[in-house]
Amino acid sequence: MKMHDLISMARKQNRSALDEQAGKALLARYGVAVPLSVIVAGADEVAQKMKPLKFPVVVKVMSPDILHKSDAGGVKVGLKSAAEVEGAIRTMMQQPAIAAVRIDGFLIEEMAPAGQEMVIGGLRDPQFGPLVMVGLGGIFVEVLADVSFRICPITRLDAQEMLAELKGAAILKGARGRKPVSQEAIIDVLLKVGGENGLLTQHAADIKEADINPLIVSDAGAVAVDARFILS
Amino acid sequence: MSDQEIINKFMPLFAPTTVAVVGASTKGTALPNVFIRRIREFGYSGEIYPIHPSAEEIDGLRAYRSLAETPQPVDYAYIAIAAAQIPALLAGAGGRVRYAQVISSGFGEVDEGKGLQDELAAAARAGGMRLLGPNCLGIYTPRGRVTFTEIGPREVGPVGIISQSGGLGTDIIRRGMGRGLRFSGLVTVGNCADITPSDMLEFYLADPQTRVIGMYIETAKDGRRLFEILRDAKSRKPVVILKGGRTQQGLMAAASHTGSLAGDDRVWIALSRQTGCILVDTLDQFIDTLLLFQALTPQPQHPTQRVVLFGNGGGTSVLATDFYARLGLDVMPFAQPTIDALAALKLPPGTSITNPVDCPVGTLQQEEGRVAEKILDIIYASGKPEALVMHLNLSAFVGRTKPEVLDNLVQAALRVQSHYPGQAHFILVLRSDGEPSLEERKREFRANAVALGIPVYDEMANAGYALAALQAYERFVHSRSA
Repeated sequence: MKMHDLISMARKQNRSALDEQAGKALLARYGVAVPLSVIVAGADEVAQKMKPLKFPVVVKVMSPDILHKSDAGGVKVGLKSAAEVEGAIRTMMQQPAIAAVRIDGFLIEEMAPAGQEMVIGGLRDPQFGPLVMVGLGGIFVEVLADVSFRICPITRLDAQEMLAELKGAAILKGARGRKPVSQEAIIDVLLKVGGENGLLTQHAADIKEADINPLIVSDAGAVAVDARFILS
Repeated sequence: MSDQEIINKFMPLFAPTTVAVVGASTKGTALPNVFIRRIREFGYSGEIYPIHPSAEEIDGLRAYRSLAETPQPVDYAYIAIAAAQIPALLAGAGGRVRYAQVISSGFGEVDEGKGLQDELAAAARAGGMRLLGPNCLGIYTPRGRVTFTEIGPREVGPVGIISQSGGLGTDIIRRGMGRGLRFSGLVTVGNCADITPSDMLEFYLADPQTRVIGMYIETAKDGRRLFEILRDAKSRKPVVILKGGRTQQGLMAAASHTGSLAGDDRVWIALSRQTGCILVDTLDQFIDTLLLFQALTPQPQHPTQRVVLFGNGGGTSVLATDFYARLGLDVMPFAQPTIDALAALKLPPGTSITNPVDCPVGTLQQEEGRVAEKILDIIYASGKPEALVMHLNLSAFVGRTKPEVLDNLVQAALRVQSHYPGQAHFILVLRSDGEPSLEERKREFRANAVALGIPVYDEMANAGYALAALQAYERFVHSRSA
């Protein structure tokens, strides 16, 4: 599927956002690593379809009507066999918040290796156009609002300075005996999202807000584990 | 567009040879009559065409019925009549006006005027002119001898100003003048129905007369263009931005002031980090920073880091050291060889010869103030600072020293400066207690120092903010020149 098709299809379906799968497909088009995944309609398809995936995996419900999947009981992590995946899907289908709404299917995804959680976001300023944002995940973003913004497109130097100005920058460098986090991997994603010809600039007219949360950075690189794109 | 093309485009605005004035009355009391008087007093020698529906003559000048009937095409039209009459006036100009500045209010800044503002912009296009305003005060352009203010320096200087508020524009000229600022121009742009701050920024960037640019912005409707102009300018000139409406409450005030939504604070911080423009928070910081860039040449090859404080006042030095450290400027003790060399001067007891260098008046008045040359020569030769802040508490000098001591101190510093060209920025802080005769002395002393190219500040903190802005600019240029 072409990049604009992902967006025009969502619009045709009257959706105000890309679903997780479409969002990750969009990121993958721009070279951002996303977990390997398959979609199943129900538990019966699991054994056949998930053969290419490595355990452990995560299962997430796909529904345009569910905003917070975890709260609805629609996310199960750390599943180690096809039988566990089937069981998880059957349990989800019985959750009241899931049984009552339209379900597009279930996303089965390889789990990214543990690492530093980052957030990369985007939004369109009515006067300045697309902006790109970066922060450390969890409380750093949510409680301390420790984020830096730039106007797109950014240069490599801009991306480096964005990370350097975070209050949590020392954590990336390996504070208190922890292993340093690959800043190059984060910068690489920042440029693919917010750089020259990056995702936000190319889709400036369509994307109102973007949220890659979390981007997990480990020795294996940076992986966009969840992604949300709100259309304008 | 090349620099020369941009300059050619805007020169009729900054140096008009024909000025039309709409709204002057035969009684000579309306604002446009005052404008005519002011530009004549300011030395404007081109044509002035009053436009009036019936009068034959206004303020001794022959009046014309419309903008289309003047003997020569009009470079600049100053318009202050009832808002509703202006669109028809502009539409009827028949391509004979290049710049029209609409002073009148009652347009986009109020809900009921939004439609009229659209009409005004369309009329300006139909009349073939560029439009400044509406809802502004005018232009001050010493090179063109045109001014809307009662008071303003007659000489042309290096500071180009764009102000979205007319009243603040007046403040900038009047207060800046007292501090020694000299302008290449000041344009009030009001509601920006056509010409925006970005247009004016393009001019000042191209204009060889302008070395530093100051902008007071409440809303940037064309923020994207502002970003692109600043980015593409590659910090060729320092741009200092005083942004109104950076908080929610300020934003509401700005919305009622200029009639459109202001941008978000974080986008302005991003703009500054990406383009090297300098954001300031207050009018004082704005003037302090512009003054610094007017007087000093940025040294991006060695960005300002080490600062030497030299003057009288121990507590003042300590407080300033703390304050500068918080701003990211170092006031670090000298290395031993510097201290040894200073000790060899055998200065009187009570003199601190590390950094900050605290010299009581008793020390500073030695050799009528020429002792400073020896001290500073050692500091420059071995201390290698990037900036020297000389602070003089005038209250401690008056009545205790000969009048020439203060001058000699500054002359001594300038001589050392000339021996080490480009090494350290030299800044003077003149502290006073507000006593009238002391203030008078300070005023004269400040004027002399500014005339010598020295930026002068009232307090250490003001100088600190300005130095931190210089540091930010130098670092930005340095980081982008690799």
